[in-house]
Amino acid sequence: MSEQTETATSPENTDTAGLLGRWDELRERESFSILGAIVFVIGFPMVFTNLPLFNGYMSLVELIYVWSIFAIGFDLLLGYTGLLSFGHAVFWGGSAYAAGLFSANFYGEPLLMVLVATVTASVLALVIGLLSLRRGGIYFAILTLAFGQMMYFLALGPLGGITGGEDGFTGVAVEPLLGALSLEREFAGILGTLLHDISYVLFAGFFVLTVAVAVRIVRSPYGAIFQAIAENEQRVRFLGLNVWRYKLTAFVLSGAFAGVAGGLHTIHAQYVAVGSLYWITSGDIVIITVLGGIGSIFGPVAGSIAFLYVENIISGEIAFWLLVLGSLFVSVVWLFPAGIWGIVTGIRSTVRERLLGDDS
Amino acid sequence: MLLKTSGLTKQFGELTAVDGVDLELKEGESMSIIGPNGAGKSTTVNLITGLLNPTDGTVEYRGEEITGKEPHEIVQKGLSKSFQTASIFPDLTVERNAVVASLGAEHGSFSLNFFKRLAGYDEVAGRARQTLEDMGLYEQRDIKAKSLPYGDKRRLEMALALAGDPDLLFLDEPTAGMSPDETDDTVDLIQRIKEERGVTIVLIEHDMEIIFRVSDRIAVLNRGAKIADGTPDEIRGDPGVQEAYLGGVEI
Amino acid sequence: MSVAGSIFGFAIQTLAVSSIYILVAIGLSITLGTLKFVNFAHAAMYLVGVYVGLAIALKLQFSGDIASRIGLESFGFDLGFLAALAIVPIVTFGLGLLMERFVARPFYDRPDTDQILVTFGILLIVQELIRAFVGGRSITFSRPDWAEGAISLGPLGTYASWRLTIIGITAVLVLSVYLYIEYTDVGLAVRAGTEDAEMVNLLGIRATRPFLVIFGVGSGLAGAAGVVGGPVFSVIPEIGVGVLVPAFLVVVVGGVGSIVGSVVGGLLIGAVEVGLQLTAPTWSSVGIYIRAALVLLVRPAGLMGVVEVDK
Repeated sequence: MSEQTETATSPENTDTAGLLGRWDELRERESFSILGAIVFVIGFPMVFTNLPLFNGYMSLVELIYVWSIFAIGFDLLLGYTGLLSFGHAVFWGGSAYAAGLFSANFYGEPLLMVLVATVTASVLALVIGLLSLRRGGIYFAILTLAFGQMMYFLALGPLGGITGGEDGFTGVAVEPLLGALSLEREFAGILGTLLHDISYVLFAGFFVLTVAVAVRIVRSPYGAIFQAIAENEQRVRFLGLNVWRYKLTAFVLSGAFAGVAGGLHTIHAQYVAVGSLYWITSGDIVIITVLGGIGSIFGPVAGSIAFLYVENIISGEIAFWLLVLGSLFVSVVWLFPAGIWGIVTGIRSTVRERLLGDDS
Repeated sequence: MLLKTSGLTKQFGELTAVDGVDLELKEGESMSIIGPNGAGKSTTVNLITGLLNPTDGTVEYRGEEITGKEPHEIVQKGLSKSFQTASIFPDLTVERNAVVASLGAEHGSFSLNFFKRLAGYDEVAGRARQTLEDMGLYEQRDIKAKSLPYGDKRRLEMALALAGDPDLLFLDEPTAGMSPDETDDTVDLIQRIKEERGVTIVLIEHDMEIIFRVSDRIAVLNRGAKIADGTPDEIRGDPGVQEAYLGGVEI
Repeated sequence: MSVAGSIFGFAIQTLAVSSIYILVAIGLSITLGTLKFVNFAHAAMYLVGVYVGLAIALKLQFSGDIASRIGLESFGFDLGFLAALAIVPIVTFGLGLLMERFVARPFYDRPDTDQILVTFGILLIVQELIRAFVGGRSITFSRPDWAEGAISLGPLGTYASWRLTIIGITAVLVLSVYLYIEYTDVGLAVRAGTEDAEMVNLLGIRATRPFLVIFGVGSGLAGAAGVVGGPVFSVIPEIGVGVLVPAFLVVVVGGVGSIVGSVVGGLLIGAVEVGLQLTAPTWSSVGIYIRAALVLLVRPAGLMGVVEVDK
């Protein structure tokens, strides 16, 4: 859980150093991250779907964004606040069902679906957080796992009439965006190359929005307080801060992000599987977030890309892909706590040093 | 009366760790709590600062009952504690350490401001800067706290404890494991805090020299109960205290 | 069946279901209590118990991806159930020692979350290794022939002898471990450690025999649970977690660090599960989680908890 502070240096002498210093200052600004996210959503699909190396496809790109949103929220809880929940599938699946049911029984406008999903997840998170956060560390992990499994079995059994039980919920009815823009509508010309279709704009839009919100939260007092709690909870208490409330807020925020993601997933898949509440899903988000690199905004994105790529594309070649991912996961926990993104930034630092280093 | 405890008791099953301790502390009157190991000194402080709930008895701060309140509530009222080990935030920069402390001081125990820029809170930055400058740590503000030399870590820890301008400060064995030079510096620091900032100090210590230099009053605990309470001279001559310290050690 | 019979029947069913949970939970409990180590990989020992047990007792068919790549088709000793019951715990005991030495030790001083993450990762690896070799489909682990059929206990009713076998085996194992912990030097270290882990830590006893043994014994029990549970629960790679979660619930309900607590907790969880199965089957799985959550919220240290594993 390392903080990514890099001080803005502006030495007068070397050109490179000066340039890098200005680059650093630029990077510190919030708008940079948001701009980066926009550039990403424009550039990534081009690379991913067109380069034969990747063999990607648009639907997978949208799925990556959805999981990224889930993971960014999860990272606020794990990477920043240091709380490991093994039951986050509750918010993902629960909100997915809420969105699906809402679309089937009321109105399937996508933004409304996401709203319903987010509210559902937030309320669930508030309740479960109130119950689970009384205890720390191990108990928290087990309690969240227990609540997750409880919901799973509830959806499978007693509530099967509503949820569709083992078969999942198939009644999802997605309407045009804002009532008028069909999700399949494609753009023409250059807009088409950059933004593809309305569906893509929806997912990419929420992705950028999530990044913006996450960056803002991290740069608010909460960012510092969360990290402090992760490092030395006791001390934070004795500085007069109500640790329990901050933890609860972290939990609810991460639930809200999961809610957005769950709602979007229902729109994407037009279906809600009961497995979305299963512990495997909770485990998946843990792996994605840790693999990508906790304690950063783009780490979870990297993790989503890696995981979903392996799960959907590599799995065609290698059936034991999860074994590979599992091994990578253990290596990261053991040796490379900063994850994939940590390795990337590590390379970046080395490159910087080379550029700046006159005496190496 | 700044702090008052009445019949403060804590039992862990059959073990009575703190047994009906009565303490009274006036503002500006610094006290040391001494006693052999296991006498219940730390436990008593933990009871006062809200880390533990007493089995019986009350704690009052400025006439208001604070028994069993949460630590953060008690701190917000003007108490603070400096820990035995340098309890800081190792992976954050020195400045961020101070910022967190300042947040607690400026914004109360909780605020739903996760959408406001931290950089926009001038009063927080100002207080953080002041806190660091007071301890001579402002130069190192961009270093990660874990990279500080041990002595600086302790000063940072003290700085954090003082960031909120407390009226009452608990110091739990601040000179444990220190060299004579470091001990002198710490004592000077404590004196400075007393005089310049008007903080009332409650000290748990074993080093008698420090105790006599810093304290206006001394409370002696043994086996959870208070066996003596008075000025340093009174305590020095008290035979019961001498006996408690394993057969009349010369103090 | 008389009233006494139905009650007894309920008891037998509960004992049978609880047995497996208890066997898994004990290892978890003492590791958590004494070593303050969270071990999700404990479930991997159960998995090993199931699959290796199957290989020893009968024969294992390999239909996994890696197995087919290297041309491995089947493997087995066909030595029967009792042989498996004797050998597997030794195997998992050894694995437990290895785990303590190479996985647990580097992580003792790392935060709880890291322990959970790494042991979860290892469980995942074991689970996927099994899938890659044996395959993901459900296999049958048939009961031994001598345990087929039913035994009549007179007025108390007739019961499947397999159920009685499970109960018997579990009782013997649990009693042995309990006596071992209560009456030997190693056991003393365990109990001392459970009650004051910090003291034991300060005395530097951590890296020595008693703690290795704890890991080993706990893992051995989990392996035995696998052999016993193979014919009862499904044999799929995911069964590890399927058993881990109730086992954790047993540990927290019964109290961390207490063998008696694990037994009591296991019985309670089993009772709830069986009871609901008889009355409201769709709620049977949900019920144990509700129950565990209730206990955790009301009495966080567990019913017989000795250890506070939290701060």
